[in-house]
Amino acid sequence: MSISHHLTDETLLRYAAGTLPAGPALVVAAHLEGCPACRARLLACEAVGGALLDALPPELMELDALARLMARIDADDAPAPMAAPRRMPDFPGDIRLPAALSACEIGPWKWAGPGVRMSRVSVPGGGESGAVLLRIGAGRRLPEHGHGALELTQVIYGSFSDIYGRYGPGDVSETDEDVDHQPVVDASGECICLAALEGQMLFKGFFGRLAQPFVRF
Amino acid sequence: MTSASAENNTLGPQALSRLVVVIATDRDRQAFTWLYRHYAPRLKSYFLRSGMAGNVAEELAQETMLQVWRKAALFDPAKAGAGTWIFTIARNLRVDYLRHDRIRPSADGELPEDEADDAPDGEALLITSEREERLRTALQTLSSEQEAIVRLSFFGDKPHMQIAQELGIPLGTVKSRVRLALAKLRAALDGDK
Repeated sequence: MSISHHLTDETLLRYAAGTLPAGPALVVAAHLEGCPACRARLLACEAVGGALLDALPPELMELDALARLMARIDADDAPAPMAAPRRMPDFPGDIRLPAALSACEIGPWKWAGPGVRMSRVSVPGGGESGAVLLRIGAGRRLPEHGHGALELTQVIYGSFSDIYGRYGPGDVSETDEDVDHQPVVDASGECICLAALEGQMLFKGFFGRLAQPFVRF
Repeated sequence: MTSASAENNTLGPQALSRLVVVIATDRDRQAFTWLYRHYAPRLKSYFLRSGMAGNVAEELAQETMLQVWRKAALFDPAKAGAGTWIFTIARNLRVDYLRHDRIRPSADGELPEDEADDAPDGEALLITSEREERLRTALQTLSSEQEAIVRLSFFGDKPHMQIAQELGIPLGTVKSRVRLALAKLRAALDGDK
C-alpha cells in the first residue's frame, strides 16, 4: 500500500503530546498503523517529549514511594489485557479494520443520506469526541463538512478525490477551516473511511444537518 | 556506574537506556531503583505541569514506573532512548487518566514494530543516544518563540488555536513555528545540518 497523503506536523506533535481529542487521535492511530513515514515523524516528536521530560526539574516523591512500588512489583501479577467483545457492522469483501478500533464500540450502519451510510465509533472514555465510519457509494459526495476545526479522514477501502488529488487505502486527508474541499468518491466503487472532527461538533454540526433527522446516536 | 552517581541524578541518556535493557534481561531491581530515582521525580514534574493535582501526579508517576518494569522487554534501544520511551508511557497514562478520570492499569495500544535493527544492543544504544543528544542540543538552539510553542504543545492541554489566542498571534503563525521547529529538530535527529 503506497501512501501519498500524510498527517501534518502539527497533528503529529499534538498526538505525540497526547493532547488530541479522542476522535481525531483514533484516526491518527489508524493512519500510523499503515504508514512507516508518519511513524518515523511521530518518533521524532516523541523524542522531543523525552528530551523535555529529562530536562524537567525533579519533584520530591513521597518518602516511601519507592518502597511501595517495590512491594507492588514483588506482588506483581499483571492482569492479562482482555479484548472487549464488540459488535461489528457488515463490510464488503474482507476488510481489515485498523487495530486502533479494536477497543472501540462500533455501531451498526445507519442511513445518512442518499448513498451514504454511517456507523458511530465510540472511543472508551472519549466522551463527546468520537469518530464515524462512512460508507459512501461510487460517485457520491462525502457529507458536508463543518468549518473551523481540524478534520481527519482516513481511507480504509476504495478511494475518493478532492482538489488535492486522489486518496486510496491508507491515505489520510487532513483539513481545517481554511480548506473548502469537496471530496467525491471515485466512480470505480464504494468507499469506506474513518473520519473525525475536533471539538464537539461531530454529531451535532458536522453530519448533523444531513443526518440528524434520521440518525440518532 | 556507581550508585553514588545515580543518587546524584547524574546518569546520562546512554546509561539510562542501558538500565532499561538490564531490567528487561535480568529483572534487575537495583537497576530499576536507579532508573526510578532519575525518572519518578521528573515524571511527577511532568504530570504536575500537565495540570494534575499533587497526589494524582505522584500516583501517575508510580504507575508509569510500574509499567516501565512490566514492559521493559518492549524497549527497543535502536528506536528511542529511555527518556523517549518512558515519556510515551507517561503520555498514554495521562491520556487514559483524562478520559476515565481515574488511573487504570495499562490499556494502551502498541504500534506495529518497524523493521528491527540488527545492530547489537550496545551499538544501537550508542547510535540512538547520539541522535537524541543532537536533538537535545538542537532544542536549545530554537528561537524562544519556537521553543515556547513546542513546550506549550507538550505541557498543556490546549489546541494550537487556543495557544495562538493566548500569545496574541495568528493560528497560521503558530503552525509555521511548529513546522520550522520540527524541521530543525528532525534534521538534528537525522544528523544533517
